[in-house]
Amino acid sequence: METSISRLIGAADKGDVGAADTLFSALYSELHRLAKRALAHEGAAMSLGASTLLHEAYLDMAAREGTAFPDRARFMGYAARVMRNLIIDHARERHAQKRGGLFEITSLDTDAMEQAVDHRELAHISEALDELAKVEPGLAEIIDLKFFCGFSFAEIAAMRKVSERTVQRNWETARIYLHRKIRTDLSL
Amino acid sequence: MSPLSSEQWRAIIPYLDQVLAMPEEERAVWLSSLAEQNSALVAQLRSLLDEQRASVQEGFLECSPVPLATPPGLAGQSVGAYTLLSQIGQGGMGSVWVAERSDGRFERQVAVKFLNISLMGRAGEERFKREGSILGRLAHPHIAELLDAGVSKAGQPYLVLEHVEGDHIDRYCDQRQLDVADRVRLFLDVLIAVAHAHANLIVHRDLKPSNVLVRNDGQVKLLDFGIAKLLEGEGQDEAATALTVEGGRAMTPEYAAPEQLRGEPITTATDVYALGVLLYVLLTGQHPAGPGMHTPADLVKAIVETEPLRLSDVVTQNKTDSATANAERRITTPEKLSRLLRGDLDTIVAKALKKNPRERYVSVTALADDLSRYLRNEPITARPDTLSYRAGKFVRRNRTAVALVALSVVALVGGAVGTLVQARNARAQRDLALRQVQRTEALNEFHQFILSDAAPSGRPFTVSELLERAEHIATQQRATNDTNRVDLLAALGFQYSVLGEDAKAHRVLEEAYKLSRGLSEKSVRAQASCNFASGLVREGDLARAETLVEEGLREISNDPQVALVRVNCLRNGSEVALERGDAREGVARVEAAQEILRHSQFDSEMEEMLISIDLAEAYRVAGQNDKAIPTFEKAAALMSSMGRSETQSAGVLFNDWALALSKVGRPLEAEKLMRRTIEIGRVGGTDENVDPMQLVNYAFILRQLGRLNEAADYAERAYRRGKQAGSPIAIYYSLNTRAYVYLDQGDFPRAAATLTELEPILRRTFPPDNAWFGRLALSQSLLAAGEGNSQQAGLLADRAVTLYETAVKAHARGAGELPLALLHRSAISLAAHRSYQAEADAVRAVAMVQADAQPGAFSSSMGSAYLTLGRALQAQDKREEARTAFRSAAEHLQNTLGPDHPDTRAARQLAEANPLQK
Repeated sequence: METSISRLIGAADKGDVGAADTLFSALYSELHRLAKRALAHEGAAMSLGASTLLHEAYLDMAAREGTAFPDRARFMGYAARVMRNLIIDHARERHAQKRGGLFEITSLDTDAMEQAVDHRELAHISEALDELAKVEPGLAEIIDLKFFCGFSFAEIAAMRKVSERTVQRNWETARIYLHRKIRTDLSL
Repeated sequence: MSPLSSEQWRAIIPYLDQVLAMPEEERAVWLSSLAEQNSALVAQLRSLLDEQRASVQEGFLECSPVPLATPPGLAGQSVGAYTLLSQIGQGGMGSVWVAERSDGRFERQVAVKFLNISLMGRAGEERFKREGSILGRLAHPHIAELLDAGVSKAGQPYLVLEHVEGDHIDRYCDQRQLDVADRVRLFLDVLIAVAHAHANLIVHRDLKPSNVLVRNDGQVKLLDFGIAKLLEGEGQDEAATALTVEGGRAMTPEYAAPEQLRGEPITTATDVYALGVLLYVLLTGQHPAGPGMHTPADLVKAIVETEPLRLSDVVTQNKTDSATANAERRITTPEKLSRLLRGDLDTIVAKALKKNPRERYVSVTALADDLSRYLRNEPITARPDTLSYRAGKFVRRNRTAVALVALSVVALVGGAVGTLVQARNARAQRDLALRQVQRTEALNEFHQFILSDAAPSGRPFTVSELLERAEHIATQQRATNDTNRVDLLAALGFQYSVLGEDAKAHRVLEEAYKLSRGLSEKSVRAQASCNFASGLVREGDLARAETLVEEGLREISNDPQVALVRVNCLRNGSEVALERGDAREGVARVEAAQEILRHSQFDSEMEEMLISIDLAEAYRVAGQNDKAIPTFEKAAALMSSMGRSETQSAGVLFNDWALALSKVGRPLEAEKLMRRTIEIGRVGGTDENVDPMQLVNYAFILRQLGRLNEAADYAERAYRRGKQAGSPIAIYYSLNTRAYVYLDQGDFPRAAATLTELEPILRRTFPPDNAWFGRLALSQSLLAAGEGNSQQAGLLADRAVTLYETAVKAHARGAGELPLALLHRSAISLAAHRSYQAEADAVRAVAMVQADAQPGAFSSSMGSAYLTLGRALQAQDKREEARTAFRSAAEHLQNTLGPDHPDTRAARQLAEANPLQK
């Protein structure tokens, strides 16, 4: 791939749809590769945090592409969406295979008492998120970062240089949007 | 309900954001006022707020989107004796299911935890089950019970645990808005459980809020005890485990201790650290690494390198809104919260969070004790890192001493901080009499600290000057009472003797003693007489010293409240006994003191250290060097942990330790320690403040190393300092050492003059059977031999041996010098061509030195004994045996005195000069 991630992010920022698509597939294969590499390294039974994977991806690419590489917050904005798709594809694949695949990706907040989500529900959420991204991309990004990639409110706040309360409020707003959206879509 | 268009959403989102920012109770007012302008908008907002409530209720987007690790079809299947009911959790470790006994014998539901680890073969399974059963024995009401452990048919290991319904401790505290004291109380329950596990040698290794649950009834339950250990693979190193187990849960080792991240051994101190983090979070609402995002790398760096902010600073330092919210959850304001945390809680948490595991609380119980003391408003044992705490408490405690304190404050700056004596027992502490003892002890220790221990650092005045001013204050101050004056004089006397100012020490201690005769308080009287006894030892008045000690010991009751006075008296009594030559009594007295201290309610590191020093010294004097050397090491370690390795007390310790090492024939190590002692005592490059005894000892060790010119120089300096300070003990020791050095140098006239000066002093000071006369006879014998009078030399050597044999029978001081006398006599016999007798003495000496030596260790005494034996054998033409003896001698001497020492060279040459014949 000749075109650098930095260039693609720059073009996507300016609204270049073709660049955004290329960026998506470039990041997708990059993250997929990283996930596989990590698993090969750590052993098949190992679980891996999505946020860790993203941090690693960032460091990896930034090191490769040099100082022109965008800051962490901008990168994460794109990468988190890609990660979401990676996770959903994986869930779908796993469901198809019935038995567990080679690896699993856990989110940061995995709590022993929390339930996993069905892959069909994930697909609905993902569709609604794409809609929300058209209305208010910042809100959609928070869901990607928090729900799919497992970043904490504090981490997102630090990344965006806003208060934790603001992030929480944005998350609440996005959640209301998604809840309403999925409910109305399903009842249609 | 019609779906909102993108335009509508864009319009409504800012309003939604605004209403979400408001507290619940303000929303209604705001909405109704807005409704007057735009009722349609408000209707939409209200319905969206309903949407929010619904999503909260459903837990929408709150669960992880992670695919299940265990196939969902497991429900209804059984593992071991349990039937799985439903999955209740999923995490990096594996999945968790609710289950019940298949045979229905047991109604309570349990939790089955599948672990995402692969066990390596049958051995791995065995180990897993074995460790599981160890954990299963850990029964405590605050620890979730481990009922069973096994491996499923599919090969997945699982644990069967008590099913606990509760909330993470941090959430529990916040939701119930517990105040600081209630949080500490709840936390104490956690500590009790962890202490119980530690007592069973089980370390948790993974303490964090999600493993510390609180049930609705307020009962604390700890989960996953020791499971981190179970997850460890065979032979895997600890760091990898901490990170990979954590790594499963996303590589955020927020509660990991520095040693876990560095791959160092995990101990109970690791749990102490995690508990420190937990307490930090409970009290401040923040993580010690600070707010904001932590990448794993940042966290690791913070944990290993960065000192966390103090609790009291962190609660006011951050953005006001979160600080206020945090304080509100503790029903207070940020400022009040900061005041609550400042001081003891700051200190306690800081001690638990020390980077170095050895600086943390020694046990979870010690941490719990301090927190309990905090709750009861008693002084805690942990010391803050600043001086103000100590000085502050002292000034408040004792008003009469303030003048002296103010005078000495300059000396305090930059000095080390020790400990005050603290009472363990709350009731006892309220007791007036006990407070009196504590006060005295604090006063003594304080003086010792400012006057002797602060001495090596820079000073705007000389110590003698300071002491004289203090003495003036003590004797002239009309306002103070006699009890306090006795205390002050005792402290001063101690200082004077530390400086080797024996005449001045005698003066103030005697004055204190006389003053105390007019007092009725027995502990004060006893203390004064024992202190005076200690002063008299240095004066050489041993009989009177012993009488005073016995008088003092009789006067103190067995009352635990005066335990410290008794300890002090026994310590002084030990010094007197040792100097009198009664080594056995000396050891017995200091062992008794140690016993009393151990069973008293006083907990003083300082006192413990002083006793260790005394005990080591008593062992040394009693010739039990095998016990003495490790005891010295222990005392030195205590001292260094108290930050006192550059103090005068450390100097004394190194001195005694050096003598023990010299005695067992390790003079090279001894020389290093002794040199350090003298460097510590030296102020401004002069010997003026160096204890003359230390100079004598250094001379002695230098002589042992064959550095005779230096030895003579130091022995002469010691003699001058002894005269100057009026210290008879230093005078006779230095005369004795000088005589030996002159003899070694072959300077017989000077040796003779020195011995002539020494003899009458010894006759005045000691009874005729004292070991000193053995020493005297030995040097006189060497002198006679040097002057060519071999008959006289033989007689004197016989006398020396007889005197030492008497000492051995009486277990008296000097008993350890018998082999030395035997070797001397052997040399004299050899010179007189009585080689058979020479061999007999040398063989005896070798056997005695061997019995005393540490097995396998090299010793210069062994070397000298073999060398002498070799010479006796050679004279009888027993070449082969002589060669073996010389070779052994060379080996011992080379390793203890170095290759260039004349004795080493002699042994080597003699070994080569006696080749194997045949």
